[in-house]
Amino acid sequence: MPVIWLIVIVLALAVAGFILGRTRAMQSAGGDRRHLHSLPTYYGSNVALKAAVPAILLMVVWLVAQPFYVNSVVSGMIPDSAVADGSSRGLVLAEVRRAADGLDNAVALGAISEEFARNARADFTDVTTRLKEAGQIVTTQITQPVLRAAQKYRVMNATGNMIMSGVVILIALLGIFWGLRETNKDFRARNVVEKSVLALLIAAASIAVLTTVGIVLSLIFNTIEFFRLYPASEFFGSLTWSPSFGGGSELGVLPLLWGTFYISLVALIVAVPIGLFAAVYLSEYASKPVRSFAKPMLEVLAGIPTIVYGLFALLTIGPMLLSAFGPDGTGWMSGQRAVVTAGLAMGIMLIPFVSSLSDDIINAVPQAMRDGSYGLGATKSETIKQVILPAALPGIVGAVLLATSRAIGETMIVVLGAGAAARLSLNPFEAMTTVTAKIVSQLTGDSDFASPEALVAFALGMTLFIMTLGLNVFALYIVRKYREQYD
Amino acid sequence: MYDAPHTERDVDQQDIKISARKVQVYYGTTHAIKDVDCDIEDKTVTAFIGPSGCGKSTFLRCLNRMNDTIDVCRVEGDISIDGEDIYDKRVDPVQLRAKVGMVFQKPNPFPKSIYDNIAYGPRIHGLAKNKADLDEIVEKSLRRGAIWDEVKDRLDAPGTGLSGGQQQRLCIARAVATEPEVLLMDEPCSALDPIATSQVEELIDELRQDYSVVIVTHSMQQAARVSQKTAFFHLGNLVEFGDTGKIFTNPVDSRTESYITGRIG
Repeated sequence: MPVIWLIVIVLALAVAGFILGRTRAMQSAGGDRRHLHSLPTYYGSNVALKAAVPAILLMVVWLVAQPFYVNSVVSGMIPDSAVADGSSRGLVLAEVRRAADGLDNAVALGAISEEFARNARADFTDVTTRLKEAGQIVTTQITQPVLRAAQKYRVMNATGNMIMSGVVILIALLGIFWGLRETNKDFRARNVVEKSVLALLIAAASIAVLTTVGIVLSLIFNTIEFFRLYPASEFFGSLTWSPSFGGGSELGVLPLLWGTFYISLVALIVAVPIGLFAAVYLSEYASKPVRSFAKPMLEVLAGIPTIVYGLFALLTIGPMLLSAFGPDGTGWMSGQRAVVTAGLAMGIMLIPFVSSLSDDIINAVPQAMRDGSYGLGATKSETIKQVILPAALPGIVGAVLLATSRAIGETMIVVLGAGAAARLSLNPFEAMTTVTAKIVSQLTGDSDFASPEALVAFALGMTLFIMTLGLNVFALYIVRKYREQYD
Repeated sequence: MYDAPHTERDVDQQDIKISARKVQVYYGTTHAIKDVDCDIEDKTVTAFIGPSGCGKSTFLRCLNRMNDTIDVCRVEGDISIDGEDIYDKRVDPVQLRAKVGMVFQKPNPFPKSIYDNIAYGPRIHGLAKNKADLDEIVEKSLRRGAIWDEVKDRLDAPGTGLSGGQQQRLCIARAVATEPEVLLMDEPCSALDPIATSQVEELIDELRQDYSVVIVTHSMQQAARVSQKTAFFHLGNLVEFGDTGKIFTNPVDSRTESYITGRIG
């Protein structure tokens, strides 16, 4: 039975349980809901939860565990001789799974009968031709051990699914029975439902946290692996970045960190003043119609995919800068890919971050502050400069730090706008590259995950992760400190 | 409750400081103040009383054009201070507000040091020649605000760290620092405890020596205690205006009597 039908059945049982539970509760109260401890729907929900939750949890666990079990059994059936040189047991197992799927599909299409698919004495060449005729993809000739394993695989999975369906439905029915048994007018169904809501919320929160932990762990192990192959002192100390998959590469992170820092700096020099002034205008000066038009317009900038900013940098900003600072102009710039090109595009991208957050923060400064200042005869700009901005400053710093972590993590604009040359230079008109862009280039194409040249990507990712994490923590700390001020 | 001998209170004949004629205020389409005529005397405490939403705060905010900061608000009629129309096009509302100080319902010290809170007004209006001058203004204002002794050792501490009553006296000192001629107070004690309230009330009585003080209050006892003149507002109309003692003991209008005896409000 397909899993989707099983889920539908369990849910149908839950609905039935809901109705039964509700009815039973009403009966126990003699048809008067005022005698019940909780509202009738709570009794229904209690039964429905007891029917659905354990059954579905069991199903999920079963679905995760069954393949492991089947694989280990099937794997034992394949003799070592069947594993060809240069191949691995995993590849043979994949072949088994493909053959089993092919048999399944062929049976479903009616090209072969179920008996034939299960026939243990069937000849493997015959099966291969039959499968090919049925339009199932079979990469090579299926060998006898593979066919045997595939047949066993099919049978085990089919039995497993059957048993699972039975057990899951049984559990659901038991759940209904359990729920109905405890349903009477004094049962505190409302509290039970409340607890399960709490459990749901906790589960959602832990998934978010555990994923973060998982990401960090996946980075850590590969990073440790990298430092086993490549000395950490070189990684953090070397001034050259020249990876070569043939060996003898120098993997110094400093040029990349410098590029990241330099491009982010240019971006912030563009984004912070423009974003901040826009926020001041929108929150303090703009009339309602202007604000309701301009604010969404500004926020549209935040919705543009970064690759589009990259194209804008490459096709518009780069050539414009080149005509001014290139060989025909001042001669500082040799190509259109440069730190300023990417920095300007990234700055434009960050404007809505700074302006939108700052706008919210400026609006959060109590009106009483403005009134107090106006009441003393201060003008609007005096009020903004001396009262509102100082009061909002911690929040604005938080906004800028969040924008900084965005800038550090940005990739596409850098790839298109700043080039790929890892270079330590002070000239902003030269091409440079960042940590993120190099992570991409180290992992694109066929990469051998045992070489330091590929593993360095994880060390770079870890460096970046720690940097942005630190910035975010700092930003949150500052924002939180700000919140205490008026509450 | 209101049979205290206010009738005996001596009210000097004073010059008219603020004169309002046929003032109308609209919030969008709502007619908030209707045809208010009112003369406020110099060196006098004038109290505005009335039920919530009667327009007393709105009228108070007309006197220093604070209503200009509200988009939908429109003011008609004449209001003049010392004979000058404050709604004249040539009048700079910013300058006017320096002359007509305001203290708000909730203490609203800036998130700066106590010193900077007081120095804020003098600095933007350039009232001090040098640092010593500014120090003197700050000390004088804090003394006028009756808070100097409590804060003189911690002028660098943030103003927001003071207690509610201290904050409100700090705000009064801040308003006094720009040397206004009129001081408007919008329910200055409604967020304060009885002890802080009595301190602020004493202060208001002292301020009367130099300023014309207009105070909006919900507490009729307070109006009776601190003011010489009282105006009763009801539904946007100025119902009755006269000597405080007379309003509280022998009101002319039946609505005034109903309000002060607690039958409406």
